[in-house]
Amino acid sequence: MGPARTNTALAEAIASVEGRFGTHVLAHGAAAERQAGERRIRFGGSLDALTPGLGAGAPLAFVGSGSAGKVALAHRAAAGAQHDGGTVLWIDPSATFDPLAALRAGVDLARVFVVRTRTRDDVLLAAGAALRSDGFRLAVVDTGPQLSPSGIRIDDLAPLLPIVRSSPAGLLVISETRARRLAIPTFSFARVGWAERFGRTTGWTALVAERALFHFAALGADPRDLGTRGALLEQTG
Amino acid sequence: MKSYLAIAGPEGAPRARILAALCAMLPRVGVADDGAFVCDLRGTERLLGAPLRVARNAISVCGASGGQALSGGLGTTPFVARVAASRTPAGKVSEIPAGGERAFLDVLPLDVLPLDPKVIEELALLGVRRIGELLALPRGSVTDRFGQSAAIACALATGELVEDVRGVAPRRRIRAKRIWDEPVDSRERLVFALRAASDELAEALRHDGLAALRLRLVLERDELLPLRLERSLLPPSAESAAIVRSLRWGLEEIPTLGLVTSAALEITAVEPARGRQIGLFAPDGAHAEEAISVAQFLRTRLGPAVVLQPRIVDPEARLPERAAEWEEVVR
Repeated sequence: MGPARTNTALAEAIASVEGRFGTHVLAHGAAAERQAGERRIRFGGSLDALTPGLGAGAPLAFVGSGSAGKVALAHRAAAGAQHDGGTVLWIDPSATFDPLAALRAGVDLARVFVVRTRTRDDVLLAAGAALRSDGFRLAVVDTGPQLSPSGIRIDDLAPLLPIVRSSPAGLLVISETRARRLAIPTFSFARVGWAERFGRTTGWTALVAERALFHFAALGADPRDLGTRGALLEQTG
Repeated sequence: MKSYLAIAGPEGAPRARILAALCAMLPRVGVADDGAFVCDLRGTERLLGAPLRVARNAISVCGASGGQALSGGLGTTPFVARVAASRTPAGKVSEIPAGGERAFLDVLPLDVLPLDPKVIEELALLGVRRIGELLALPRGSVTDRFGQSAAIACALATGELVEDVRGVAPRRRIRAKRIWDEPVDSRERLVFALRAASDELAEALRHDGLAALRLRLVLERDELLPLRLERSLLPPSAESAAIVRSLRWGLEEIPTLGLVTSAALEITAVEPARGRQIGLFAPDGAHAEEAISVAQFLRTRLGPAVVLQPRIVDPEARLPERAAEWEEVVR
């Protein structure tokens, strides 16, 4: 078999694999290894130590009840995605994106496009377009409160998973409920303690992915990273 | 001195050859909506000579390229030059001197202006049949009654609006074709296969310093009629990735592709490629245009006031909704 014939056969095999699993699924081993670190989106803090992380071609879900700190940490992810000059697409069907909170978390608002879609199909269209283009480093889909009129659930986003695997962008989904029919890496958020002052709630502590602890202040201050549970246990003996 | 040359000819004139000849001779040549060639002669007098002489040379050069029965017009605006050319006998050049535009245009009928025939009929019922009579009417009343197009027509005639002469490179067919023994049966495989064709086109575009503005994809299919897909690339691009992305979006709107046996991809409209300013320390800044083009696509599909960007106006506002303003990313 001549080299030209080998190359043709290899190109056909790559076409077949990419046709089945999506474009860019194949990469040279050494290059893929080296790029894995570069493609990761850093939250800054103990979330970076957790696996699976958020990065190009990777989906991740933040799941937890309302006011557990999901959006605050999603802002951190957006700021991390912008660190190299990237742009973030934030899909916000419930129109709850708070620019001031995002700014406090370090998000550059000039590089955030907020898409206020109303239907599931529009959400899929917007997220699909962002993931297929080279223009975005991160696409965030905030499904909003469970009882919001948009009624978009995390399970509705199933068509995005094959797209994100071949995308140069990451996908972050924020949802109050866990996926039932969708296999998506998930960081669960659970409140484990309240902070009170003069009988009023001033903040709370949340356990993320059952390993990292964050303290959130009710008045919009930046969340405080308390570290991972393992590290805290070591410190406290 | 402001000077434009327009060259008009009959329907059957070899337009591609005439355009190539003019582009080789003059620095800025465009094609107007009515098909006339418009050349911007501003600032060329010292290099090329008097406009009248340039015009006569251009007519003779076009004649040598097979463009018989062409006529030329010189004017201070492209519109005046075009009208002059269209009313000049074949082989001749007429010049409308600066300051003489109104005298030339005022006596001409209204169909010279880019007006809807219904508007012309309505004006005729009011006794307005010539350009001078239209321009004598109060401008505000004309706009109120006949709309924006009438206002634009008046501005063209008075010289307040000067059409832009967009440089046109000589047309060259930039196309690539792929034929497959085994039909392509999925969208993903087709997009992958088109990537190589797009690379080829992108290489040709870069070689000529052009950016693709419009694409045409023709797919031959087993037991189905050929599928023709026309796409616009905004912003115009010579990047293979942009071409592939546009094709992918176009193909996604087609529910049944069938078995594709061949694909012919052609760039049908081009623009001179422009450089991009990117941030020195922002490697992803090069993709900002891609993000804008996605925003543009989403605005087209989802309508206005959907793709937004926040801007903080008062961080200390008492009401949170007054702290920020929302602007459309693409208007």
